Amino acid sequence: MIYNSKRLYLFFLAACIAGYGWIFYNFQGMQSGNLAPDVCLIKRMAHIPCPSCGSSRAVLALVQGHFVQSFYINPIGFIIALIMLIAPIWILRDFTRTERTLLKFYQSIEVLLKRPTWSIPLLLMLLANWIWNIAKGL
Amino acid sequence: MDAQKVDLFLMTNGKYFESHQLLHIRDRLLQMEDTKWGILQTIQFKDPTIILIVSLLGGGLGIDRFMIGDTGLGVGKLLTCGGFGIWTIIDWFLIMGITREKNLAELQQVLY
Repeated sequence: MIYNSKRLYLFFLAACIAGYGWIFYNFQGMQSGNLAPDVCLIKRMAHIPCPSCGSSRAVLALVQGHFVQSFYINPIGFIIALIMLIAPIWILRDFTRTERTLLKFYQSIEVLLKRPTWSIPLLLMLLANWIWNIAKGL
Repeated sequence: MDAQKVDLFLMTNGKYFESHQLLHIRDRLLQMEDTKWGILQTIQFKDPTIILIVSLLGGGLGIDRFMIGDTGLGVGKLLTCGGFGIWTIIDWFLIMGITREKNLAELQQVLY
C-alpha cells in the first residue's frame, strides 16, 4: 500500500502521461497504417492473449466513438478510459486545494478489494473476460 | 528482550530483511518488552525468493504485487498487460527489495 501521497500522485501522473502517449502513438499508427508492436509479454511468450490484451484497441475505438465495438474488443477499455479521464482532473483538484482525497480514495479501494466479497466476483469476471479474449483470438 | 532470543529471531528471520536494516532491528528488539516475544513469533513474513519466482511467472498479471499487499498497483499492472511489459521487467529486479520493505513495515507494527 502506498502511504506516501507524493509517490502516489507522481505514479498516477506518470501512468496517465504514459497512457496518453501510448494512445496517441497508436492513433497515429492506425491512421498511417503502421500498427504498434505487441507489448504484452504473455502474448509474446505463450501466444495467448492476457486478460487485458486489446484494451488499447478498445480505448482507441472509444476515442472514435464506437462504444459497442469497444465493448466487443475488451470491456476493460472502459475502465482504463475512465481512470485516464478522471485521474488528471482529480490530481489537479487535489493539488489546487492541497487535499489528499485521491490518496484516501485509493486506500479505501485497496481495503475494499482485499475483501473476498469484492475480490472473488471481480476475479471471476476477469477470468470470464480472459476466456472470452482467448476465444476471440485477440 | 534477552539477547539470545533476539539473535535466535535474527538467525531464523534475517533473510526477510535488508542486511543494512538488521543492526537497527537488533537494537530495537533488545529494547522491546519480553511480553511481545509471543506476538513476534507469530508474524508471517513473505519470502522474497518466492515472490521473485511469482514475479517471473505471473508478473504480467500483477500477481506478485497482489501477494505483497499492493492491491492497487496489482490492479494497475493487471489492466495494462503488466505496464506494457516494461513494469513487469522492472519489477523482476525491484520486487525482492520491496518485499523486504513490506516485511520491515510488518515488524514495525509490533515494535512500535
